[in-house]
Amino acid sequence: MISRMNSVSLHAKYPSIFLLLISTLTSSNLQAAPERYVIENPKLKMVVIPRTAQQMAAFYEGREFPVKAINATGDACFFTIGIHNKSQQILWLDTDKWTITTAGGTLSLLSRAHWTQRWKELNLQQRFQSTFRWTLLPNQLDFQPDEREGGNITLARINTPFTLTARFTTKIDNLDEPSIITFKNLRCAP
Amino acid sequence: MKKILTLLFLLTLPISLYADNDAPKGIIKITPRTAPPLSLENMDGEKFTLSTKNRRWSFVHFWASWCGPCRKEMPTIQSVIQAMSKDNIDFVIVNTAESEDTIFSFLGAVAPEINTLLDRDGLATELWKPRGLPSTYLVDPDGQIQYVVIGGQDWQKEHYQTFLRQLSPAKLHDKP
Repeated sequence: MISRMNSVSLHAKYPSIFLLLISTLTSSNLQAAPERYVIENPKLKMVVIPRTAQQMAAFYEGREFPVKAINATGDACFFTIGIHNKSQQILWLDTDKWTITTAGGTLSLLSRAHWTQRWKELNLQQRFQSTFRWTLLPNQLDFQPDEREGGNITLARINTPFTLTARFTTKIDNLDEPSIITFKNLRCAP
Repeated sequence: MKKILTLLFLLTLPISLYADNDAPKGIIKITPRTAPPLSLENMDGEKFTLSTKNRRWSFVHFWASWCGPCRKEMPTIQSVIQAMSKDNIDFVIVNTAESEDTIFSFLGAVAPEINTLLDRDGLATELWKPRGLPSTYLVDPDGQIQYVVIGGQDWQKEHYQTFLRQLSPAKLHDKP
């Protein structure tokens, strides 16, 4: 089942990232609140919310990030992801196995290593780097039954629509049949 | 005799209710692993080091003011700290990478009795590899992480406090 809806209180069910981001939005941000995309099946529920550059800037500005770092976040496209493991099995998240497909080919998510390098170039204080890392979706995680986690994924800013394919497995080695969730026609929020 | 047996059963109930795989919702028993080092100053500048010297369990909790569930959970942690002040467990609260001004204003509003440790650069937190924030670990008196707590919980609820109370060195060493 896939549905698109405007901001509702679903974020309250997910840890940290949903509330933290939404709670920092200004009224002007809220007027431009982007849509959220939801896919739910018997095993899991996944929510994707495109974030505008202005929303991300407001969030990191609220965390006292320096301007140079805030400007750097503007080069990337942010999506807040919420995942709920509805099954009674452990589901493995491994974002290295996720794919971004455009009409012109495939793209990779920006990795944690990318951001570490970027912050190093900008000589960003360690505490800001730490906070930034906490706002990212874990790269790999064994979702426990009924666990909900959230966080941001980032990719280089593009103007064309793309498809996000997320894979979840019940074993870390990915040898079993994965649960595949596909969000079509996503776009970076401006 | 029957009354004595009934009494014995009732007395042992709080412990037997929480076998390892039967912890309250959100508390997960894990394969024990050694707790990473934790040595930080609190808001009064006093240094705290997690050690096994006290032979007590530790409730190690990582939080940040920007984390929505932390705002909801922190008052319940303050309550459980107060309610369990005479119990055999240490509460170790760690803020992750925020300024003192931010911490003071947040705790002043939601849990003024809590004196948190300050992980100023966030590196101590990263050693613990939390799944996210908030994140809580239950560390046994031998310095082994025995349980992780997923997401924020309402620690004021009786079943959580009952579970925490039954954690003791005696229980640990009773294991085969």
